[in-house]
Amino acid sequence: MTVQIIEVELDRLEDLWSDGLSETYRSYVEALSDHDPAVRPKLGLAASLIEVGLRLQGLGGRAAPPPTLLMGDLCLARGSRLLTEAASKPVQVAFARAIEGLSASAASGKPSAPVRELLLHAFTATE
Amino acid sequence: MQSLHTTVGLAINENEPLLLRDFQKLLERLAPGDAGYEHDDFARRYEIAVDESVNGHAHCRQLLLTGFATLLVEDGKLVLGRWQSVFAVDLDGPRHRELAIQLDGEFAEVARETGNQAQLVELEITRQLMVDPDAVALPMRRLMEAGGKRVRPRLLQLTSLIGPRYDPLLAASLAAAVELLHNATLVHDDYVDESTHRRGRPTVAAAEGAERAIAVGDYYFAKATRIIAEIGPTAVTSTMAEALEAICASQIDDVAMRGAFPGDRSSYVRIVKGKTAALFAAACASGALLSDAPPEVVAALKRYGELLGIAFQMADDVVDFSPSSGKPVGLDIRQRVLSLPLIYAAEDREVGAEVRSLLQGSLGDREVDRVVELVTSSDALRRVGDEARGLVEDALRELEAVELNGLRSTFVSIARSAVDRTA
Repeated sequence: MTVQIIEVELDRLEDLWSDGLSETYRSYVEALSDHDPAVRPKLGLAASLIEVGLRLQGLGGRAAPPPTLLMGDLCLARGSRLLTEAASKPVQVAFARAIEGLSASAASGKPSAPVRELLLHAFTATE
Repeated sequence: MQSLHTTVGLAINENEPLLLRDFQKLLERLAPGDAGYEHDDFARRYEIAVDESVNGHAHCRQLLLTGFATLLVEDGKLVLGRWQSVFAVDLDGPRHRELAIQLDGEFAEVARETGNQAQLVELEITRQLMVDPDAVALPMRRLMEAGGKRVRPRLLQLTSLIGPRYDPLLAASLAAAVELLHNATLVHDDYVDESTHRRGRPTVAAAEGAERAIAVGDYYFAKATRIIAEIGPTAVTSTMAEALEAICASQIDDVAMRGAFPGDRSSYVRIVKGKTAALFAAACASGALLSDAPPEVVAALKRYGELLGIAFQMADDVVDFSPSSGKPVGLDIRQRVLSLPLIYAAEDREVGAEVRSLLQGSLGDREVDRVVELVTSSDALRRVGDEARGLVEDALRELEAVELNGLRSTFVSIARSAVDRTA
């Protein structure tokens, strides 16, 4: 099941898996051990794609070259779509707010909390 | 209307300059700035912010005003007496302030009129940008104020009139989110394409740098998806998320195809389906979903949106060869951006060989000018125009069996105006 989801969801992003995405994914899945096992792979993949996507883009640092930025964009978009499939509405909103906060800090040159910390916190959002 | 600050008051009074000075003096007499306020004795207070103002006088003056105002609106206009004006009185500024407004009334009939729908979206976009941090809001405001056809929000609002449940304010909010999302993608596109101008103004990347452009794009991508999640039923959220993913995937394909520039028609259509048509289709489907339209109607509107989106992109490609496009003619050729007129010119029996030869080499000013000349002298622009108009007719045929609530002529006019344009 997990392998199938990952294979399907890595279209155009295959190289990322061996380039750090797999470790990031495993970290999130471990951290989400109290979630429903049926949705854990999708949630873990969503969060790891978003974290890796932001890193690829160079958000808050040096801008990525255009092809890398586009891969980062696809990571964010796919991560968001996976959240619409597997996460509650409050979690979807909390993820979006986390990215808003990170982007606003990056735009104004202010430091922000680590991405993983923010995204793990977003999973705790409730109504 | 409610002030969200304890040092901003609201008042309804006469806007006469001498009277305003009288008001100011009255407030100064009753709560002088130098009267010595316990509130300003920070040594005795807890949890003082770093930027805390010495403003005891401002709080006391606010007590003499009010933080709330109820205003009547009739036929779109404030109901005020001859001498009445509405004041937001900043007693500790000037600085960025926020007011909350709650609207209560009958909007459905008024909002059905096209002009009012467009106004609602503009108001919502303005409202959304007003609450964002300047570092992201200012570049986005400049981009959005420079124009844009607002076709996607128009389609969403129009299709939100189809089903049995019409909520104009919700539709306007969703439409504004879609336009923000579209503009967020443009901010990143312009960096990727190294575009210097859009809508006649410098792009965010050109004016503010790549780092800022990435942050602005990300911020509005996230904000738009948040608004959509907050408003939309699950079907709307999923539809929009799938469209956004299709846009991003096709951007990767678009850039990858630049090695085989200018490409062929089938690759062009495949990429444009994601790059442009996906959001058109999602806007049409989402409006209908929001209004609880039946599934077969949603599907037909989605197909209408997709065909219209492809036609719109083709028309855009034609406009790019005209000086009224808002960007230098030939820029897309230099940047090797996907373009159907260029594909057709490269296949043309008379000019094709020269076009292909020029595109294979490095593209300086002279080469780009020559390619533009060859494209405009060939049959390519007419062919693309005809094809776009054909797709519009196909799009309209998708709606033939759909009950459109008396809006068929509006769907026809939006579709035709999407391709018959010069800018």
